[in-house]
Amino acid sequence: MNDTIARREGFLHEFRKNKALFAMAAPAFFLVLVMQYFPMAGLVLAFKQYRYDLGVFGSPWNGIQNFSYLFSSGTGWLITRNTILYNLLNLITSQLLAVIVAVFITEIHRRHFKKVTQTVILLPYFISWVVVGVFVFSIFNYETGLINTIVKTFGGEPINFYMKPAAWPWIICAFNAWKWTGYNSVIYIAAITGIDAEVNEAASIDGATIFQRIRYITLPSIRPTLVTMILLQVGRILRGDFEMFYQIVGNNGQLYNATDVIDTYVFRSLVTNPDIGMTAAATFYQSVLCFVIIMVVNSVVKHIDEDYALF
Amino acid sequence: MAANSKDMASSAPTKIRLSGSSKTFYFICYLIVIIVAILCLVPFILLISGSFTSEQWIRFHGFGLLPGEFSTEAYKIIFKTPGRILRAYGVSIFITVVGTFVGLILTTLTAYVISRKDFRYRNALSFFFYFTTLFNGGMVSTYIFYIQYLHLKDNLLALILPGMFNVFYLLIMRTFVNTVPFSLVESAKLDGAGEWRTFFSIVLPLLKPGLATIGLFLALGYWNDWYNAMLYMNTEERYPLQYMLYSIQQQTQALSRIAAQAGITVSNLPSNSLKLAMAVVATGPIVIVYPFVQKYFIAGITIGSVKG
Amino acid sequence: MKKKLIAILMAAAMSAGALAGCGASSSSGGAATSAQDTAEPATTSETAEDGTLDTSKEVNLVMYVISDRPAGQDIVDENFNKLLKEKLNATLTINWIGWAEYAQKYPMLYSSGEAFDMAYCAGWLNFSNLARRGAFKPVEDLLPTYAPDNYALQTESALSQATIDGHLYAVPTLLPTYTTYGAIYRGDIAKEAGITDTIDTWDEIETFCDYVVANHPEMEPIDEYSMGPEMNLTWTRSNGLKDIDSGLRYLYFDPSEEKPTVKPVYDIDGFGDFMTRMKDWSDKGYWTKSALADTDSTKTQNGKAALRFHNIDTFAGYGVLHPEWDFQYGVMTADVAHLPYTQDCMVISNTAKNPERAMAMWNWLTTDQEAYDAFYYGILGTTYELNDEGQFTILDNDLYQTNAMWAVRTMDLNRDQAGTPESFTTLREDWEKTIDASKGAERFTGFVLDTSNITTEVAACTNAEQQYGWPLQLGYTDDVAASIEQYKSAMQAAGIDKVIAECQKQLDEYVAAQAQ
Repeated sequence: MNDTIARREGFLHEFRKNKALFAMAAPAFFLVLVMQYFPMAGLVLAFKQYRYDLGVFGSPWNGIQNFSYLFSSGTGWLITRNTILYNLLNLITSQLLAVIVAVFITEIHRRHFKKVTQTVILLPYFISWVVVGVFVFSIFNYETGLINTIVKTFGGEPINFYMKPAAWPWIICAFNAWKWTGYNSVIYIAAITGIDAEVNEAASIDGATIFQRIRYITLPSIRPTLVTMILLQVGRILRGDFEMFYQIVGNNGQLYNATDVIDTYVFRSLVTNPDIGMTAAATFYQSVLCFVIIMVVNSVVKHIDEDYALF
Repeated sequence: MAANSKDMASSAPTKIRLSGSSKTFYFICYLIVIIVAILCLVPFILLISGSFTSEQWIRFHGFGLLPGEFSTEAYKIIFKTPGRILRAYGVSIFITVVGTFVGLILTTLTAYVISRKDFRYRNALSFFFYFTTLFNGGMVSTYIFYIQYLHLKDNLLALILPGMFNVFYLLIMRTFVNTVPFSLVESAKLDGAGEWRTFFSIVLPLLKPGLATIGLFLALGYWNDWYNAMLYMNTEERYPLQYMLYSIQQQTQALSRIAAQAGITVSNLPSNSLKLAMAVVATGPIVIVYPFVQKYFIAGITIGSVKG
Repeated sequence: MKKKLIAILMAAAMSAGALAGCGASSSSGGAATSAQDTAEPATTSETAEDGTLDTSKEVNLVMYVISDRPAGQDIVDENFNKLLKEKLNATLTINWIGWAEYAQKYPMLYSSGEAFDMAYCAGWLNFSNLARRGAFKPVEDLLPTYAPDNYALQTESALSQATIDGHLYAVPTLLPTYTTYGAIYRGDIAKEAGITDTIDTWDEIETFCDYVVANHPEMEPIDEYSMGPEMNLTWTRSNGLKDIDSGLRYLYFDPSEEKPTVKPVYDIDGFGDFMTRMKDWSDKGYWTKSALADTDSTKTQNGKAALRFHNIDTFAGYGVLHPEWDFQYGVMTADVAHLPYTQDCMVISNTAKNPERAMAMWNWLTTDQEAYDAFYYGILGTTYELNDEGQFTILDNDLYQTNAMWAVRTMDLNRDQAGTPESFTTLREDWEKTIDASKGAERFTGFVLDTSNITTEVAACTNAEQQYGWPLQLGYTDDVAASIEQYKSAMQAAGIDKVIAECQKQLDEYVAAQAQ
């Protein structure tokens, strides 16, 4: 109702009506405008050959030449596909696990146990990928790795994981889930805690079983959060977590076909001859694809339920 | 029926009758949570033990749940000049507290605005913020802009401003704000309360779990950030902890390489155990502070109490 | 993504060996300058005041170097500035870009518009890329005018390397380094195995490694880690070939030919056999099966590996570090030449306020022992000590080691570190005698490849090399012939033919220009 009237009356009317709301959003608006939008002028670098003496704007244009290396020798498709598949796999596993852990933890009623486990599951978040890389090597390396040491004690043949690219998507996915489950579950725990306590109480007085409570109260209450999280991840579907891939896979060419994502490919291609324009081009390519995908997904979601859409 | 949230949480178990299937449920529930907790805890124990293991031992035998050959070499390097580590803790605490506090206010206010269905530009505004996660100017132009126009070089604001507002936090926060019934807002306004008062006295108290979550994430983000410090900080007095540790590690790595080439006698710099010790030194304070934040995740809230 | 990418870029660049090669003090052949010489007072002699340089106004020069600021820098500065003030009426401020940040901050120095006079640069800091993109001030006029003594000592090929698109963009180092690759190995173990000859052939390496496998199971016979194998490079060098560019280690040519042909490594005679041998070595356990995942670059230095293929400076460093292991060096380069002199160089920034004075200071630093010692080693008795042969010892590693402006080192002024293996000096002296600028590999020292027309193809080839070439060299394959085919076709798909054509064209031009 308000909406239709406002639409007819224009910005000034809206401003007068909701002065306070404008004021509330203003600080963040200007902060983002200055800190994020102004430097966006740098996007032009994707189409320029950068020169230090001429600067961002003075450098000469070079069309789409900066993009060509991405698609030379047919790698563009492979790395784009890998990036998307990894993101989907990671999205599903880490969110699903986070929801399960959050539901279980909130169902636990021993306060100390609950407190301790909540702290403990956040620990992996603090372990940087560099350190994870150290772990991965000491688990999987051929000669002294944990797994092969165990295999050998039982008289088995040691496994050369570095010659088995097919294993690595699962290894990477497992470490990703391990690192993020705790962090993500905090969001869901908070969402569940945010359920009006009266509702739960009323339900249990009415004789609802645990399963019914989870099914009809807990899960619906975290659905908006879950949808938002998924949409946010989908908006990043073409961006690979560079540090994760680099620290786990590193320079190991044997695994590239299974583990190469856009970000690692760009890094490797430019390591001997860094080029600001070519880096910018890769980022631009990712941005545009993400933009298209999120616009489509968001409008589908909006169609189903406007409250769940990102914008 | 203004049930105190604390009562609620502690009295809940007694009210629920435990049927057979519930028992099974709790069994599985505890089991899974325990397994997850172990998976998270064991690497951390390995990490602590590794940080106390001598570098030579790690190189030849790796590290285990207990240090193979006890050594505090890595910590000695980090705390060689305790003054600078303490100051770095100070810088980190300062930017974390200030940034989290201001960031939380900005995030909550903005989330409230974009969740107000009677605000015409809410979608446009959301899109305005969201767009920055898709496109950014890249490092070079951001760097030049921050240094030349905003004069952020060696300025603590360079550590605070970039991490203050994040779309991810904003949209998560919006899902929390959305759980507050709009009718509450409307009735408050009918009672004559202004927008600001409605927000602070009606909405904000209902957002405790959301505030705790986003506050925690903001704080973790500030605490772990070394990248902005690397780009913008020149004087060591303004280095936050993570960057101080990071630069000690990089320095050691470079040193051991130069040592190899030039024969400067600094053999056996503990590069592996140093990485691990860094993680311990940086994580410690958060693990100590976290339980205080946690209470907001444990006790439920009661909308009724606000209404009444 | 960007920030993480850059963060790793730094880590990788640091590991890229090159850094260390030009790292601190390698020393010159016969420059055993004695302590007495250095005690000479700084007389206001010769050239710097060339009539053209007006030193009446005091200026402060700003210099950027890559390293972390040493604790003792203040006292070293104070001491040095006293000399500089007297000599050129100037003071010097050294700004430091730490190891944790140089990969991002160094190129940005030139885009941010900050005013500074001079900086350290090197191949591993992408000298030619920066020069081509207008980061530096051309110095073809400045150098002969304000640093005539330095200019007189520069060789033609050094200046040719620093010349890009017709302009001289750097003052190259006056301390030569060499293209030698070879086997750095544990002398104590060789002795134990009864090997008395210097190990410098593939057969001898095999004998040595077999011994290590059998008797030292705790060690890896050959040091291989994640920055990539160096077998092909050592192999081609041992056959007298030269790589076209240190960034393209899959293209080689024969410098002994009048008009050399550029060839990919897989088209060189004997490549298949060599790869089969490497596969054989890998199966025998000469190196870890996890080499490409192993980030430990210090295995030889720390006693975990027995042999490493690397350059002579690395060898000297290991020798000083572990005299008890009796490190030996088997040269495996048939045709030794100088490495590019831009490996270490000094550049004048585009934003320099006092380029003339900076150049005059450079002249003084690179030709005056007292100035050099004060600048590079610090204060005698406080930061360093000299022995009877003029070799230096660092007194307190935490206080001050040596200056990070490595480009200042010269053959005459630089000092050996006490404890440097003897063969390090004798080998280098021999090379200086035999290297002939008109013959063999040395003829091509001045050649600098310009990849700007083939950026895309080079990026793709570098990538294919890493993906297929590295595992092949390390023998990580079940079928050598099939893997070679796969490697070849990946390189072809990446556009190797275009890269070869461009390299050949530039090489031909170089040869033609030389003939005139």
